[in-house]
Amino acid sequence: MSKRVFFHPPETEHGKKYWRSVGQLSDSPEFRSWLEREFPQGAAELEGSDVSRRNFLQLMGASMALAGLSFSGCRRPEKHLVPFSRGVEWAIPGKALFFATSMPSSKGGLPLVVATHDGRPTKVDGNVMHPLSKGSSPVLAQSSILDLYDPDRARFFRNSGKQVESSEFESALGELAKGFGDGSGLAFLVEPYESPTRERLVAEIKEKYPKARWISYDPIGPVSAPVYGEGVSALPKFDKAKVILSLDHDFLGTDCAGDFARQFAAQRKPDAKSGMNRLYVAENRFTLTGGMADHRIRVQASQIGAFAIAIAREVLAATKDANLAVALEGAPAASGAFQADWVREAAADLVATKGKSLVLVGPRQPQQVQVIGAALNAALGNLGKTLVGRRSPGAFGTVGIAALAAELAAGQVKALFILGGNPVYNAPADLDWASAQKAFCSDKGGVVVRLSHHEDETSALSTWQVPMAHPLETWGDTRAMDGSYLSVQPMILPLFGGWSELDLLAKIAGHQKPEGPELVQDTFKKVVKPQDFTVAWSKFLHDGFAPKSAGSQEAPVELSLNAALLAGAGKGVPAPLAQDAFEVVLVEDAKVQDGRHANNGWLQELPDPVTKLAWDNAALISPSSAKQLGLENGDLIEVSFQKRSIQIPVFVVPGHADRSLTIPLGYGRSFGGRIGGRGVGFNAYPLLTRETPYLISGASVRRLNRKHPLVVTQEHGAIEGRGADLLREGTISQYKEQPDFAKAMGLDAHAEWAEKNGKKTEVINRSLYSHPPLNDVHQWGMTIDLSTCTGCSSCMVACQAENNIPIVGKEQVGFGREMHWIRTDRYFASENDDVLEPEMIYQPMLCQHCESAPCETVCPVNATVHSEDGLNVMAYNRCIGTRYCANNCPFKVRRFNFFDYNQRKIQDGGLYEWNLLSSKGTEETVKMQKNPNVTVRMRGVMEKCTFCVQRIQEAKVSAKVLAKDSNHFRIPADKFTTACAQACPTEAITFGDISNPESSVSKVRASERGYRLLEYLNVGSRVWYLARIRNPNPKMPDAAKVGAHSKPSHHGGGHHEAKSHHTGGEA
Amino acid sequence: MANIFPRGSNFLPLKIVLCLLVMGGSITAGFVYFFTNKYTHVGYQPTQPVPFPHDVHVKQVGMDCRYCHSFVEVAAHSNVPTTQVCMNCHLQIQKDNPKLEAVRDSWRTGKPIQWVQIHKTPDYAYFNHSAHVNRGVSCVSCHGKIHEMPEVYHAKPLTMAWCLECHRNPEEALRPVKEVTNLDWQPPVKDGQSVAEAQRELGSKLKKDWGINPPDKNCAGCHR
Repeated sequence: MSKRVFFHPPETEHGKKYWRSVGQLSDSPEFRSWLEREFPQGAAELEGSDVSRRNFLQLMGASMALAGLSFSGCRRPEKHLVPFSRGVEWAIPGKALFFATSMPSSKGGLPLVVATHDGRPTKVDGNVMHPLSKGSSPVLAQSSILDLYDPDRARFFRNSGKQVESSEFESALGELAKGFGDGSGLAFLVEPYESPTRERLVAEIKEKYPKARWISYDPIGPVSAPVYGEGVSALPKFDKAKVILSLDHDFLGTDCAGDFARQFAAQRKPDAKSGMNRLYVAENRFTLTGGMADHRIRVQASQIGAFAIAIAREVLAATKDANLAVALEGAPAASGAFQADWVREAAADLVATKGKSLVLVGPRQPQQVQVIGAALNAALGNLGKTLVGRRSPGAFGTVGIAALAAELAAGQVKALFILGGNPVYNAPADLDWASAQKAFCSDKGGVVVRLSHHEDETSALSTWQVPMAHPLETWGDTRAMDGSYLSVQPMILPLFGGWSELDLLAKIAGHQKPEGPELVQDTFKKVVKPQDFTVAWSKFLHDGFAPKSAGSQEAPVELSLNAALLAGAGKGVPAPLAQDAFEVVLVEDAKVQDGRHANNGWLQELPDPVTKLAWDNAALISPSSAKQLGLENGDLIEVSFQKRSIQIPVFVVPGHADRSLTIPLGYGRSFGGRIGGRGVGFNAYPLLTRETPYLISGASVRRLNRKHPLVVTQEHGAIEGRGADLLREGTISQYKEQPDFAKAMGLDAHAEWAEKNGKKTEVINRSLYSHPPLNDVHQWGMTIDLSTCTGCSSCMVACQAENNIPIVGKEQVGFGREMHWIRTDRYFASENDDVLEPEMIYQPMLCQHCESAPCETVCPVNATVHSEDGLNVMAYNRCIGTRYCANNCPFKVRRFNFFDYNQRKIQDGGLYEWNLLSSKGTEETVKMQKNPNVTVRMRGVMEKCTFCVQRIQEAKVSAKVLAKDSNHFRIPADKFTTACAQACPTEAITFGDISNPESSVSKVRASERGYRLLEYLNVGSRVWYLARIRNPNPKMPDAAKVGAHSKPSHHGGGHHEAKSHHTGGEA
Repeated sequence: MANIFPRGSNFLPLKIVLCLLVMGGSITAGFVYFFTNKYTHVGYQPTQPVPFPHDVHVKQVGMDCRYCHSFVEVAAHSNVPTTQVCMNCHLQIQKDNPKLEAVRDSWRTGKPIQWVQIHKTPDYAYFNHSAHVNRGVSCVSCHGKIHEMPEVYHAKPLTMAWCLECHRNPEEALRPVKEVTNLDWQPPVKDGQSVAEAQRELGSKLKKDWGINPPDKNCAGCHR
C-alpha cells in the first residue's frame, strides 16, 4: 500500500509572500518552533521554574494521601430547588430574556441588545433594529459585560479612605450643598458624552449655581475645535462615498464608535451592484483602516498636514476652488517628500468622483489640518452628500482643565466633583494634577467628590469616593453617532450599590435620588413629545431608540466652512521633522481605550488587532528605524521630550512610518485592579501635555540595555500550508475576468476536482476512513468573506463571552496556551521580503469542522466525533487529554486546558500563580457572567469551536416544540447564527444551514470567490473563505502590487508531487 | 548448570493468583456497586420541607401536571411552582393544615421554599423538557408513576445508558402529544396484542409520521 505524502514546496523566490512576522521572513528558530509544534519546546512543563514534572508528582502523591483521609467527596451533595415565592413577570426559569439598551461613549452611544439569564446579563450584542449600526457590535461592546462583573469594581462609599455607609455620604452632600451659594466655589469635571437627561440636569444645576464651572475632559478626544461651527458635527456617509481618502483617520478602528463598519463594508463587496468603493489611506502606523486600504502610504503623523496640502494643491489645480485657495495661502512649498505620482493620481481620483468622494481627517490632527480637510470636502462638493452635518450639544464645559488646575491651586474652588474620568492618571502631565489635587484636599481644605467604577489613582486622592453603577445597572439615555435618541435601561440592580452619574447630579440639582426611570421619562416627554406617553415609552424601551422623527437630532444641518479658520490654515500645519529627530504619536489603545478598561481580562488577553501584542503596550517603530537605533522587539528605550520621559519596550511593526514612534495610551496603571492594576504595560501619559496632546515632534530616543518580555501571538498557530495557499486575493478586474480564480490555487491545483459545466466545484474525496453519515436535514456551514473582514477581533471577544472561555494570563499566552476558539490571523504581504510597505490581510481562523476530520481519527477514546449535521463535536467528559487531536489538526485551532483556568483565583501580583496551597474558586461575580448553556471546561480537556452548538440545539428544540405532532421540524433559514457571525461589524461571517438553499450561507457559498483551506488534503472543511478583492486604481504607482496574488508555484521550487513509498506491512 | 530462574520465581504462580483475585474482586465490586440502585439513586426519597402528595393533587383533585410545572412545554427546565401557585388554592383550601406551615411561612416572608432536588442530570448533560413533552414523550417515561406517589422518589436510573435505550428505540415511549400528561394512558390494544406490542406498533407509526430521530450517536445532542 502506498501513502501519499505532500511535500510543501518552499514559497516562490520571487513574487508575493504572506508572512506573519519579521521572524518568519528570516525563518528564525522561534518561528520554526511555533510552526512545527503546537506548543513550543517544554511548554508541557508546569510554569514556574521550581516545580518540574517530577516533583509535581511527588507533591501530588502527598496531597492524594491527605485527600484519602476523607471520603466525603463520594456522596452526592444535597442540592435544593428554589422557586420564587412570587412569580416574576416574563421570567421563565432557564430561558434567556433580551432587552434593548445602549452604552454611552464619547464617540456616540452604541445601541445594544443584552441577553439575561435568570436576571443575570450574560451577553451583549448589537441592536439589529437600529438603522445605523444594524446589529454590529465592536470589541468594546462585547467586552462591556465583563466590566459589569469585575470583582475589583469600587464597592464602598469612602470618606478619606475610610469605609462609610451611603447614607453618611448623602447627609454630607446635603451639608456640603448648603455652602455652594451661587456656585462660585463649585466645579464639575465630567466626561464628554451625549445624554439629554444629563444635559437637562446640568442646565438645572447651572441655573441653581450659575457660577459653577463645568469642565469636560477626554484625554484621547479630538484636539481641534469643531471646524463646521459650534454645535455641528459632521457625519460621514459611507454608503454614498465611492472614493475615500483617510488622513490618519482610523474610522474602522479607534476613531469611531464602530457603527460605520457595516455601512463601509457594504461597499466593499465585489458583487455589490453599485460597485466597490476605493480607499486611500495615509497614516503613520498600520491601523485597521490602513489594512483595508486599496492604496496606503506611510506618512509621519506630523506630516499628515503637509500631505493634506499636497493633495489640496492638486485638487485646487483641478477645481480652482476659491476657499481652498484661501486655505492654502502661505502654505509651505512642496517639499517633494511624498511620492508625487501617488498624490497626483489619488487627487485626480477624488476630483473625478466629485460629490461622491470623501476626505476624512483623524480627530487628533490639529485644527489647521481639519480645516484643510473641510476645505477639500467643500471643493469636491461632498458637503451635504457624503458628509452631512448634525446638531450636537456643543461645548459642554465653561473652562478647560488647565484653568481648573490653576483655580484649584489659587483656592478659588471649594468643592470639586469628578464624575467618571481619571485625571490623576490621565490629565496633561504639565498640570501635575496629582499634586494639585492632593494640595487642594489637604492644604486648601477643599472637598473632592469622586464617582468612579474603580477605586483608582484619582480615588486615592479624593475626599469622598462614590462607587459608580455600570450602564447595565442604571436608567439613562444617550445619543448614537447619527444623533438618534437611545434608551439605557438596567438589567440588574447595582451589584455593589453604585450610583449613576444621573443619580448624583439629581441630588445636586435638589431632587431625590431617583428610584426608577422617572428622570429619563421626564426627558423623554420633553425630547420626543409623545401623543400617548405609555405606548411611546414602552416602544422606546422595547426598540432601544426613539423613532427618527422624534427628537433624534438626525435632521441634517447644512455644513459650511468657517471663513475665519480658513485663512492661514495652510501656514499652521506642523513643520517637517528635523533630520534624525523622532516624532511620538500617542494614540488611543484599541482595547483599553484611555485606560478605563485596563481591568478587563478579555481585553488584556485579546491580542491587539494589528500588533498581536497581549497584556502589554509598546512603542511601535518601523523596521528601518529600529535597525538604525539597533533595537529589537522588547528592548527598552527611554523616550524623552522637554524633561519628561518614559521607559517603554519597542515593538517593530512592518508598514510603520520611519522616525516615528506610536505609543498606545492607557497602560501602566497603578491601582488595586488585579488584572491591569499593576505591572501591565507602560504609562505614556507623562508625555501627554497641553501643547502636545497627540503629536510630539522632536522627541529623543535612547536605548537602555534592558529587555522587557513582550508576549505576541502573531506566530502562534502558524500553519505549514504556506500563506499563498491559505490566503487568496485578487483585484476587482481580475475577479471580473475570471471569477473563480481563487478556486484551485497552489497545491490545490493538483488535487482531483469534480467539474460542472467546465468549472471546478470541489475536490473528489478519496478518504481511507469511513465517513459518518451526514444525513441530518440540517447541515451546518460557515462562510468568511476576506474582502470585508477588517480584523477588528470582535468575533474573538464575542466567542469568549458566549462560550465561557477563560483568560490564562500573560505567561500562559507566552507559552501559546491562550484559549481563544477563534483567532484573527494577521498576515503581511509583500514582494521581495519588503518589510517597509507591505499590505495587511486578515484571516479569522476557527475549527473548520472538516467532514473527514484528521482529529477524529486519532482520538483514542472517541471524544471528538462527527455528528450527522456536519459538526465536529467534542465530548469533554470523554476527553482524557492526550492532545493527539491538536497534533493532527492542520489548522491548529484546538485549545487545551493545561490548568483549571476557570477555577483559579486571580491573585495579586500575577494571574494564576500556581501552587498546591493556593486557594481555588472563581470570583462569584465572574461566575455570574457564564453562559449557563455551555459547559465550563476543566483542566486536562481539549476544546475548540463548536459552531455554537448550544444555539444550534436551542434552535432545533424550538423547531420541534413548534412542530409538535407533525414533521415540520426543519429550522427556518437564518433563524439564528453563531456568536462570531452575530457580532461581526462587517457581516464578513455568515453561518447557517448549507442544505437549505434559502439560507444566506448557501447563497454566499455559491460565490465563485469561495475556496476551502488545504483542499488537497481532502479534509472537506465546512468553512468557505471568500477571496479578498481589492479595488486598486490602475493609474497609481503601486497598483501592480495591490491585491496581486503570487502566481501558483506551478512546477517551480521544491517537489510536491505525490510520492509513493512502502510502509511497514510488506516488509 | 546454574538455575535459569531465580529463587523468587517459585512464588510467581502464587503472585499471579493473588493478582487475579484482587483484579477479579475489584471488577465484581465495581459491578455490584455501579449497577445497583444505590449508585443510580433509584428509590432516593429525601425529606422535603412540605410532604407534597402528588397522588392527592392528581388522582383526587384531578390537576394537570402543567398547572404547577407551567413552563415544561416551553423551557428546558421544568419549573417547580412558586409559592404563589400553591397559595392560589391553599388560601381557601386546607388553610390551617399544619403540614402547609412552610408554604404559608414562605408566602408571609417572601422567602422561597427550599425543595430538595431529587432528579438531577450532571452539569455536562443538557436535558430539555420541552423537546420531549412536545414530541410525545410522557412524564411517566422518566419520572415513573409520579401521580401515584404520596411523596416523590427517584423512580428511574437516569443514567446515560438508560437515556440511550430510549433514544435508540423511541417507539417504546411515544404517545399522542395530548396524552403526554395523562400518566395512566395505555396504547389502544387490538385483539390478541400485548400492551407492549400495541405500544411498539403505535410508537413506530408516530416515529415515522413525526420524523422522530433523537440523537443517539451525536454527542452534541446532550453534551455541549
